[in-house]
This record gives sequence, C-alpha cells and structure tokens, in this order.
Amino acid sequence: MQRLAAAVVSGVLVAATLSPVLRAPWQDDFPLSTYPMFAFARPTTLTMDYALGGTAAGEPRYLDPRLLGTGEVLQAYTVIATAKENRQLPTLCRQIAARVAEDDERDDVAFVRIVTGTHDAVDYLVRHHEGRETELTRCPVPR
Amino acid sequence: MTRIARRLAAWWFAPAPAERLAMLRIVIGGAALVWLLARLPEIYAVAQLPADHFAPAGVVRVLGAPLPLALALGLAIATAGLLVAFVVGFRFRYLAPLAAAGVLWSLSYRNSWGMKFHTENLMVLHVIALAVTPAADAWAIDRKPAAPPAAGYGWAIKLLIALLAATYLLAGIAKLRIAGMAWLDGEQLRNQIAIDNLRKALLGSSIAPLAIPFLDHPSWFIGFSVMTIVLELGAPIALVSPRAGRWWGLVAWGFHVGVVLLMNIWFPYPLSGVAYLPLLRVERAGHWLIARWRRRAGMPGS
Repeated sequence: MQRLAAAVVSGVLVAATLSPVLRAPWQDDFPLSTYPMFAFARPTTLTMDYALGGTAAGEPRYLDPRLLGTGEVLQAYTVIATAKENRQLPTLCRQIAARVAEDDERDDVAFVRIVTGTHDAVDYLVRHHEGRETELTRCPVPR
Repeated sequence: MTRIARRLAAWWFAPAPAERLAMLRIVIGGAALVWLLARLPEIYAVAQLPADHFAPAGVVRVLGAPLPLALALGLAIATAGLLVAFVVGFRFRYLAPLAAAGVLWSLSYRNSWGMKFHTENLMVLHVIALAVTPAADAWAIDRKPAAPPAAGYGWAIKLLIALLAATYLLAGIAKLRIAGMAWLDGEQLRNQIAIDNLRKALLGSSIAPLAIPFLDHPSWFIGFSVMTIVLELGAPIALVSPRAGRWWGLVAWGFHVGVVLLMNIWFPYPLSGVAYLPLLRVERAGHWLIARWRRRAGMPGS
C-alpha cells in the first residue's frame, strides 16, 4: 500500500469518527456516536414505568429484563416506554405474565403490574425510602 | 513537502513489525467474533420485538421496516463466518471488508431498537480499520507478500490508536458541550450514578457494588468528575509516545473498572484490555506462543 492511499484511509476514518462533534451532542448514532451518556444534568428524582410481580399475599417481586424479552436492562426500559407510547401496556403485561409462568424461580408470582414509580434515587438506594407508585395495568399470571 | 509535513509523515509512518499488526488482527477480530456470537441471543430477542419498536440507527437507516427474523439472524451468523476468515487471514483483501461490513450491519441492527449502546462502537471502528490495512501480511493463511507495502505497518497501528483516542475525546467534549464546566462539580456524576442504579434496581437488575457507599459521600464525586474529564480530553496523549500511550491506557482501563464498581456497566472491549492492545508490543505474546509451541513439538530453531 502506498503512503498516499494509507494517508487517505487514515484521514477518512479519523475524520468520520470525529464527525459527530459537528452534530448536536444529543443526536446520537451508531457507531459514529457523540457519546452523550452521563453528560446530561439530571435531578435525583426519577419517574419511570416498570413491571413488578406480586405474590398472592401482595408482596412485590422485581422482574429481571429477561422477562420483558431482552437481556439488557436499558432495552427493557425502552420496551415498556414504547409499549406505553403505543397504548399496548395490557398486551405487554400479558406477555410478561406468560414468561413469568414458565419461570420456575418465580412460581410465587401471582400477578404482574406495570406501574409508574417516582423515587428519589439516593433516598431509595441509601436510605431505603420508597417513593410512590401508580398502577397502569395489571394482569394475572396464567398457571 | 514542507518540513512540518515531513515530520508528520515520519511520525505517522514510523515503522512497526508486520507481526504486531497481525496480532491485532487476530485478537481484535477474535474479540469481535466472540462478541457477535455472544450477542446472537440478544439479536434474536430484539428482532422479535414488535415493528413499532424499530428505530433504525446508522447504516440500518436504509430499511423502512425490520428485516424478517431469519434474515437478520442469518446475516449475523454469516458475519461470524467471515470473522473466522478475518482472524485466520484467509483471502483477507476481499473477505475482511465483507466481515467489517457484516459487523457494522449486525451491530447497527442490534442498536436499532430504541436504545443505542456504547459498548461496541470502538470495536466496530477497529474492525473496519483493520479490514483496510495489510493486517494479514504475517501470521495468516494467505501467502506472505514478496515485499512489505511501501507505507509499512506502523500507520495502521497509529490509526487504531487514533480511533481509540477519538472516542474518549468525543465523550469528554460531549460533557463540556452539554453541561459545561458544571460537570466538574461532582453533583451531575453522582446523580447519573444514582439514577442509573435506581433504574437497574427497579428493572430487576443488580446494582453496582460500590454505588451505595459512595452515594452517601458526595464529595468523592468531584474527584471522579475531574479525573474523568482529564482522562477523556487527554486521550490524544496516547498518540504522543508509546510510553505515554501505555500509561494513558492503564488509567483508561482503571476508569472502566471504576464504572463497573459504581454503575455495574460493563464495557467488555476496554475491560478485557483488547481496546488498548494497539498501545502495546503485542507481537511479543505471539512470538512467545510460537516458540513455546515449537519447543513442545520438538521443532528446530526453538
């Protein structure tokens, strides 16, 4: 390979990798990313939608992302957000409940709820103070 | 050619052994192969999501709708096959660009379901870069060329380091563009870590082992924020000299260990050390392995 060709290849790849700096930093893409993660200011109060299992006695059980059809926690977050946006939470609830029914480790889960919770992250994690939850939908686990 | 251009060319094209680039091809290509195979279940899982979850990213924007499941999975499996050829250096000139295109497509497709992950960007860029360099001139099935290329091999390794540095630099720039110098006060980083761990807890995932002790002591986050920005904006130092590069790589690796301990976010490519191998004389490991194998086989010259 000649030096000129090598220089052109190098220049193009480095310029392409750095090109996201010309976009607004929140306009992320793949693989040419602006890497905006952790850059945004945010309060410690979080309101988000999530799925919870519940036993017959009403005890809550956290459901891992696998039960939402993905192995990734952030993808699970997106799955619920998209279902809510498309008014498909009852369908998603039934899909989660069907997966719970096949999970031997969760044989005490009698129903699934999808809730909107508002918590202060530091209070929740450090001081174990839970915020409030509002139920969006609920469905039984088919047994 | 001006004096500056001559010095720049001498630096960029400083010689390096073909075996170093070959070793990087083997390890980075191998890492991409293992990563892709490990992601197959996830590619399969997200490809079954309803079509309204599809939000094409990068090259996948050419699609108006998701691919049939079998095709999406088939392309990823074919890419894995091409990566095997990439690693062993078989028909590298023709198959390596196809492997790189396959990696770009499959991982872009995986990032096209509403959430863009940042764990595999650099690996994709490194595979693309290696695919257009003479990385199979040594330790490959392909026949060794009669003469080394005029541009040598050092520029290709510099290119891998430049891409590595660029990704960190961009992350630092994004923080300053979005939050400005306020990012250094520690509060934003602390809040990010708190929110990320809360989200994990609510979604039934494990929280990071050191998150709670540090969240209770916010002053630590001023130091973490300053160190993060210095590391990211200082990434180009990795290009200045091999010694500076190795030190920067060590600090960057430590940063990712910190991310695991505080956020339980795993970036396997840097955490495994593969991302930083262009900063090292990796061919030594290859020579050592070959010598060891020859000794065991009782071959002459061992």
